[in-house]
Amino acid sequence: MGLPTYVFYSLSIILVYVSLATLLQMQFGQLGIVNFGIVGFWGLGLYGFGVLLLQYGVPYLPSLILATALATLAAFVLGWIILDLDSQSVLVATLAFATVVADLATTEKWLTEGIRGLGSIPYPLDLGGDSELGLFLIILVATCGVLFYAVRLRRAPYGRLLAGIRDNEVLARGIGKPTLRHKLIFFTVTSGAMGFFGALSASIQHFLVPTLVAPTVTFSVWIALIVGGRQSPLGGLIGVLATIAVFDFLIELFVPIPAGYAQYLPIVKLMLYGLTLMIVLLYRPLGILGARK
Amino acid sequence: MQEPKIQLSNVRKAYGGRTVVDVENLALGRHGIEGLIGPNGAGKSTLMSLITHKVNLDHGSIVFNAGTEGVVLSEWSLDEIARLGVVRTNQIIQDFESLSIVDSILLSLAPPRYEKLYSLFSDEQMQREMRPAVEEYLSYFQFSDPAGHALSAGEKKLLDIIRCLALKPKFLLMDEPTTGLHQDQTDRVLELIRRLTRDDGMSVLIIEHDLDVIWNACEHVHFMAEGQIMTQGSPAEIRGNSTVEIKYLGEPGA
Repeated sequence: MGLPTYVFYSLSIILVYVSLATLLQMQFGQLGIVNFGIVGFWGLGLYGFGVLLLQYGVPYLPSLILATALATLAAFVLGWIILDLDSQSVLVATLAFATVVADLATTEKWLTEGIRGLGSIPYPLDLGGDSELGLFLIILVATCGVLFYAVRLRRAPYGRLLAGIRDNEVLARGIGKPTLRHKLIFFTVTSGAMGFFGALSASIQHFLVPTLVAPTVTFSVWIALIVGGRQSPLGGLIGVLATIAVFDFLIELFVPIPAGYAQYLPIVKLMLYGLTLMIVLLYRPLGILGARK
Repeated sequence: MQEPKIQLSNVRKAYGGRTVVDVENLALGRHGIEGLIGPNGAGKSTLMSLITHKVNLDHGSIVFNAGTEGVVLSEWSLDEIARLGVVRTNQIIQDFESLSIVDSILLSLAPPRYEKLYSLFSDEQMQREMRPAVEEYLSYFQFSDPAGHALSAGEKKLLDIIRCLALKPKFLLMDEPTTGLHQDQTDRVLELIRRLTRDDGMSVLIIEHDLDVIWNACEHVHFMAEGQIMTQGSPAEIRGNSTVEIKYLGEPGA
């Protein structure tokens, strides 16, 4: 391939964000669960995978499956505790969960190597110069799967049920729907999927450091979804293209930035996300794809 | 007269020291359509909330299908009780605001086998099965925009009743069903309920302040005041009862 490897690196990261934002669209936009612990599930997948692969010598595919299972199990236990609480409590609890994951990544040096970092993680397929392309294609297929599910969900009886639970949970129970069970199953599976993308992300990053699992990931995904439109299954995709893709990919790669200013880039980026969010909320309160009010 | 479908024994509920419901013994569902009347604050709505376990009992037991092998309702959750066939229409307007009228009815009709994480392609088949029932409700009850959303308070109330009827309940609790409905809609609701009671063996308990509805529709009336069932009997007996007259009918404006 003629394209330089950093293009696939950036595109892979963008696709992971598209998946996370689409999973959040289903959790929040469709079902109404305020998950502020995205980076926790993603990070469990990321670090779980890295630790299994490098510290315990588990092969690639079993590591991927086990890391996903770990994130799924964490989601089930957390969901079991918090999902019958009100949305503010869910917000705080998921945020706290993500903080715990980030702290453990720093403190449990015997597992994660702490801030020294855990590396290096190989590509899933060793294709020589095309290994980045191989990883990108795997993530592309997985992302398309998530998008497809989100689009179909809207028109399925299950999607109607989730919307009903979001609109009025007590009323849904009154017509015989076991809402807590449905919330728990859906939250567990979609959060487990976030862990799966975390495990895949380990190969993008090569080297795992605790700053990767900072709350910035959660906030970026939320901003992307709100910008794109939380009601639409494609809101996450459009939102990521309008924020992360523009700032992390286009600006970072193609706008010449003087060497001395490169260190300010991450801060400026977050400010620009915030600015985009404010402008979109002013003119389209329900996001780019949201219905006009 | 049939066997009672719901039997309440020593049911008590208090909020902050104030006893709201204190029913020693009450058999419901021995007649097709029964009424529950009484002044505001008598505990009628709370009694219904206790039956569907929307609210926890303090004391006592509520048994469904008391004649055969009974189910103790207070051990089941609100949604399980609805699946058992004990369903309540809401006094205060409740709606799924993002769902259209059709989607709202389909949601109620949808059996669990279609509501699975992995059944992404079942809507067409479910629509084929359920659409005739939806159309029947829509042609029987007139909505101003049947393809859109329930617009007025009355339409939302009507939709709430339809959602409950779509569950084919064995015991239907109706908490002030006709408030906000036009007279012709009220008549249609009552006519349908009479038919379902007669043909499908459904039992109904209606709370209503519009006493014409009670006198016309009910075969049996329970009178409740201060948390207790004061008296019960046929509409004619209740109308002539002195306690009812003093505590309720005699009220100015009632």
